[in-house]
Amino acid sequence: MSAWWKGRRQRARDLEQEMRTHLEMDIADRVARGEAPDAAARNARLDFGSATDVRETTSDMWSGELLHQTSQDIRYAIRGLLRAPGFAIVAVLTLALGIGANTAIFSVVNGVLLRPLPFPRPSQLVFVQSKFAKLGLEEFPADLGEFIELRSRSRSFQDIGAYTTGPVNVGADDAPQRVSAGRITQSMLSTLGVVPVQGRTFNEQESIPNGPLAVMLSHELWESAFGRRPIVGTQIDVDGLKRTVVGIMPPNFDIHDARARIWIPLQIDMSNPAQYRGGHFIYMVGRLRDGVSLPAARAELETMLAQWASLDGGSQSTTPGAPGFVHSPNQTTHRLRFDDLQANMIGGIGRALWILQAAVVFVLVIACANLANLLLMRAESRHRELAVRAALGAGRGRLVRQFLIESLVLSLAGGAAGVALARLGLRTLVATGGAGLPRMTSIEIDGRVLAFTLGLALLSGLVFGMAPLMHLGARNMGLALRDGGNRTATGARNRVRRALVIGEVALAVTLVIGAGLLLRSFWNLIRVDAGFDRTNLTTFSVSLPPRVYKDNQRRVATFEELIRKLSATPGVTSASVMSGLPPQRNIDANDVAYEGYTPSADEPPTNAEYFQIVTPGYFTTMRIPIVSGRGFGPSDDARSQPVVVINETLARRYYRNQNPIGRRLQQGGSKTFFTIIGVAKDVKQGGVDSKVGTELYLLYEQCPTTAFNYTPASLNVVVRSTLSPSALSPIVRRNLSALDASLPVVGFRSMDEVISDSVARPRFLAQLLGVFATVALLLSAIGTYGVLAFAVMERRREIGVRMALGATERGVLTMVLRQGLGLALAGLVIGLIGAAALTRLTSAFLFGVTPLDPSTFLAVSAFMLLVAGAAAVVPALRATRVDPLQALRAD
Amino acid sequence: MAPRAPKLSRIELLQGTLDLIILQSLRWGPRHGYGLVQHIRAVSNGVLQVDAGSLYPALHRLERQKLVNASWETSERKQRVRVYKLTRAGQARLADQRSRWEQFSEAIAGLFVPPTATAEEP
Repeated sequence: MSAWWKGRRQRARDLEQEMRTHLEMDIADRVARGEAPDAAARNARLDFGSATDVRETTSDMWSGELLHQTSQDIRYAIRGLLRAPGFAIVAVLTLALGIGANTAIFSVVNGVLLRPLPFPRPSQLVFVQSKFAKLGLEEFPADLGEFIELRSRSRSFQDIGAYTTGPVNVGADDAPQRVSAGRITQSMLSTLGVVPVQGRTFNEQESIPNGPLAVMLSHELWESAFGRRPIVGTQIDVDGLKRTVVGIMPPNFDIHDARARIWIPLQIDMSNPAQYRGGHFIYMVGRLRDGVSLPAARAELETMLAQWASLDGGSQSTTPGAPGFVHSPNQTTHRLRFDDLQANMIGGIGRALWILQAAVVFVLVIACANLANLLLMRAESRHRELAVRAALGAGRGRLVRQFLIESLVLSLAGGAAGVALARLGLRTLVATGGAGLPRMTSIEIDGRVLAFTLGLALLSGLVFGMAPLMHLGARNMGLALRDGGNRTATGARNRVRRALVIGEVALAVTLVIGAGLLLRSFWNLIRVDAGFDRTNLTTFSVSLPPRVYKDNQRRVATFEELIRKLSATPGVTSASVMSGLPPQRNIDANDVAYEGYTPSADEPPTNAEYFQIVTPGYFTTMRIPIVSGRGFGPSDDARSQPVVVINETLARRYYRNQNPIGRRLQQGGSKTFFTIIGVAKDVKQGGVDSKVGTELYLLYEQCPTTAFNYTPASLNVVVRSTLSPSALSPIVRRNLSALDASLPVVGFRSMDEVISDSVARPRFLAQLLGVFATVALLLSAIGTYGVLAFAVMERRREIGVRMALGATERGVLTMVLRQGLGLALAGLVIGLIGAAALTRLTSAFLFGVTPLDPSTFLAVSAFMLLVAGAAAVVPALRATRVDPLQALRAD
Repeated sequence: MAPRAPKLSRIELLQGTLDLIILQSLRWGPRHGYGLVQHIRAVSNGVLQVDAGSLYPALHRLERQKLVNASWETSERKQRVRVYKLTRAGQARLADQRSRWEQFSEAIAGLFVPPTATAEEP
């Protein structure tokens, strides 16, 4: 490099000296010939010309020939494009759309699927859960007894940590905030290999019962709630308790997308696992020992499961209540499962993301086809220029390079604009909550995404840049100068243009059908009868800090007061609380004994899958029909006999052909009998697309005295009101802060939104695919239009002749329209075949519609022909306005 | 095409011919740039005028292609001049180009000979 540079400086000096002597000699000669010295100097300089030009051109000679020509070609390409700004803008925008969509989706694919978890040696991390196959609970939280025992018995793991999550109220600097808290064992952070950015992790004292109260903040909460002030060592208020901040987590730290903003130690007695049995609420993450594979760990688990109960002092019995039964894992009814942590987090979203990636590749291919056509037509009109350049000695290779460089300049500009577009799109995606995508925080435009984009831009530049090269065939080159040269190869080029349009229409059809099927699925999902009347319903949740509201009666009184206040508000029809928010909530699956029902030998213990704790107005507010018996009434209160309403599914399951009204049931382990007073119509709890599970409705008022002595402090409130949500919101806030100013209103949404959010993933897939299909449709329409418009222009003479020979306007119009529809029809047929082959891949995401749904295929076909017709109309009308005389005179 | 031609087109246009002219002029001995201009003008009776803007880039390109080499010498007028000399490769190239040129000019000359048979009318 430096030798090259020295050589360059030396040559520059040589040239200066050379030019100087050249001038001196010329002047001397002129003076000798009798010119006046002044004139001689002037004339010599004039003769010599611009020294700068000589300098530049000469130094160009020395820079590498290829490099030099390339930079020249780039300059030439940019000049050429600036001369046709309309073309350049259309091309760059088209590419920006195509490449930007790819960049955005690849950022998601990369962030969610490809990037490893942000922990050291992430492939060693294993997610551990319970599994109750007979209850249909494939993935279920484990209990702490299992954690303690697995951790001490397994040889496969270096260490195992456990965690659970739940909301807490945090006393932030200005206002109380409700955030998700992660409660973790002492071993959790060391297992993951996470080191706090400030302070330390929890110590042993803080992790045992009655130890000091500690807390760690997420980096995000430290920033948003405490303004990054020095906080380690000070105390903050968490759910009414003073906790000492011992450390701050690294940015974006999270476990399995718990979205926890604050971390609290799980205080557990590791020496007594038995007391924790049956309380399934934790998840575990283990780190495998070096050299131990996941299958090896699973094999070890099998042996452990076979011995587990006997090690715990129990028998092999798997039936609760049977002699010798302990609630420990076994090989059949109650297993543990090991999954790769990242794979478990990603779940089933992988295929959806790859489908989206394929869709945007389709869009880009369509964009490239359009550009190829544009460049082809442009090359057609630049034919003379090419011929002149060829005649002037520009080699074929040089011209080929010139074309490729022009398209690469376009595609790189499009790529750069695409990255900007992708950034915008991703910001929107994150702002809208990420549509329930896992690993949202790791989605960003990183080096790999940029490399992908660059590769894509170069590739598309090469692909569509090839099109105009067809003009460089040796034979037409010579002809070009003579007559404009666009007769001989016209047929071939027309065929290429048509093939491109047919191809892009076909791709667009496939995409539109895919999007159509998913949109219909989404439509079907949100129209599923969730079991209640969702119109005019608004909901939010309220969390009473359990330590402040220690007294169960006070919890009940607070919520009842809130309901009373809300119900009295003008515009509010009624209001009620509910512990679970339909149509999608966590399963309870707690044991329930149904009086008079004896489970068969191979049947799992009887239970109820969902427990819904409500106030008396619940069924009225939600408009859930009572199909037999009655709902809760004024006679049911804390002093009356405990009552329960069951859903239809539960009635069918446990009271087949019997009248359940008046029958009794007991919650697992409790002595209290609840009398069934009514059967309510089924309401969705596990998602609108899932079968309804068994459900018990309990009265909140009766909780303090009956249900496990458990009275939830965190409840959802549902309000039926003719007021709009925006009018209702301040009323709710006012009423709640009148009760306790420290309580935040959380998740204020209309029930329509709740239902729509419960299908966030299908919605995300359908929306994005819908957007991409629209872009594809537009691009293919533009492509059809372009090719027809160009064909009309090219065939002006022919059309003129036809009209001179008596063709009517109508005839010309039909001719062009038929040509356009012919292209669309060919594309449509290919697209329909493609769709039929490809929509099977989406079947996992379809709901209430088959992959070959005839009505979607039909509707899309009709629509595509309509669009093609619209695209053909303008060129067709233009054709009818051809003036035969002018057309014949032209050229 | 734009009215303003790219900077190099002068050379591109002349490229083949200018190289031939320079190489041929150096055949009878080394010359400096100014000397070449004078020589070419003199032998062509002023028909061929090579301007500096074409000459120096061409000389440097030929130097880069190792068809000529250059060295600094002192002229009879005691000036430091850069003198160009034909290399062995340059001589070979000259011979090659010269024979091509002769072919070409013969062909052109042939065009001016009156045709012996009349062309067919289509």
